[in-house]
Parts: sequence; structure tokens; C-alpha cells
Amino acid sequence: MNQTLTSAPVEYMQRMRDYYLALGYNNPYQWAYHESVPFHALKKSVTQSRIGLVTTAAPLKSGAGDQGPGAPYNAAAKFYKVYTGNATRDDFLGISHVSYDRDYTTADDIGSYFPLKALRSAKADGHVGKLSPRFYGLPTNRSQATTLKQDCADLLAMLQEDEVDLAILVAN
Amino acid sequence: MGCAKDIVEHCGVPRFVFSDFPLGNAAGKPHDIESQRQTLMLALDALDKASAPRTTLTSPQQWSPDTQWKTNFYSIAKLSDEELAQRRAEFDKIKAVGKEVRDQAEG
Repeated sequence: MNQTLTSAPVEYMQRMRDYYLALGYNNPYQWAYHESVPFHALKKSVTQSRIGLVTTAAPLKSGAGDQGPGAPYNAAAKFYKVYTGNATRDDFLGISHVSYDRDYTTADDIGSYFPLKALRSAKADGHVGKLSPRFYGLPTNRSQATTLKQDCADLLAMLQEDEVDLAILVAN
Repeated sequence: MGCAKDIVEHCGVPRFVFSDFPLGNAAGKPHDIESQRQTLMLALDALDKASAPRTTLTSPQQWSPDTQWKTNFYSIAKLSDEELAQRRAEFDKIKAVGKEVRDQAEG
């Protein structure tokens, strides 16, 4: 078997533009771009902070078909409002509703896309101060305007309600 | 935390931990607790140490010595016209389902 050795990251935007143009769609996706990016230096260290985990993974949706490991792309499993989950439990969350690499990974270990257990271990080891009692689900299928004006506003309100100091978003 | 470096950096975020893994593994390798621990620790480092927006920390981990996965993702190089048409039809179905679900969610 020939090995291909490429150290450069995949250029996903170009790859996906070419792919959908080849499929005959003539309206290439406009990726979000922000000239100005907000930034705040930490007021207290991570070991003194409460962390909130934000995910684009989806809770199991009844009647929406296969959402488990290796499931085909499943648009029926998408969600359209920010949701919260109990971060003290280990409920199923899937990524069948997004375009992950189905040839080289199967999403059969939630820890590879939703690091809640790793966060709990980090807390137990003293690397983080506290964990929010809830985690937060962020929709992936909105317009950029809806993401900014509705979803991000909803998410921020929930994080503030839970007195979260630092949010970690894991994008899928 | 993410695996699509160009997309996240194009968007712009305060701090970014990039794992050069197939999409779907932004928190580390599956069934590899040490990989997942290291990836999270890098995220905590990014929180603590970044001093400006658009800071990217790259995980030193490698998915596999064979990087064929990078070439194959969404590759059109080996697809025939018939396969392209089939994929178009599949994607049209996915979009229709997505629209139906979105319309229901929005009432």
C-alpha cells in the first residue's frame, strides 16, 4: 500500500467549493469571516474559573432515523435552537447531522468530539476550577445572521445564567 | 477546538486549538484517553496563555503516518459523471429533509 505523506492541513474551503461546483451547484458557500475578533485576557486563571462546554453535537431525536456511529449524513437529526444538557450525566450526543469524515472515522467514541469526560478528569486533577452543571448545544444550520443575532445571544445568556467564566466550543 | 484550520481561522476566533485529524475528532483520537487529555490540556493552555485574538495552538499529535485521508476528503478526482450525478441527487434529498425539519422547527 502506498502511503501519502502530506503535512499541510486540508484546505477545506477550497475542497468543498470544488466539490459542490463539480456536483453542479453554482452558488458556493460563503464562509463566515470577521475582520474584528473579540478577545479578553483572563481575569483569573483556568484553575480558578468555571468552564462551560459548548458543542455542535446533537441530542438523540426520536423518529429521526440512524444517529449513531457510522450513520449516513442525517439532516433529520439537525436542531435549530440552542439547547442545554446535564453535564453531570453521560447522555448520547451524535454528529450524524454534520459533515464529518465518514471514510476515516465513525464517531463511535463521544470523547473524540465532546470532551466532557476529559474535562471532568481535568477538574479532578485540579487543572480547572469548576464545571458548569450544564453543557450547551449550538445549532450548525443557521444563516450567519441567525447564528450571530439569535443563537449566540441565546448561548451567551445561558452561560451568564450559569455564571460560566470560560467557554470551550468544540466544532464538528 | 477544531479540525478545519482554514475555516476556523477564516472565521476568526479568540483562541483555537487545531488538531490535524479527520473532521469529527476535534477533541482527540477516538478510544484514546491520553490523546483526548492532551488535546483538552492544550485548550486550557490556550485559555491561560493567549495574549491576542486569532491565537492558534496546533496539537503535535498525528492521526496516522499515512495521510491519505487528507487527499480523499471530498475529492472529486476519481468520481465519474455518473457518480457526481448520484451524489448530487443524494445531496438534494438531504437538503430537502433539512428544509422540512427547519420549517417545522420554525413553525
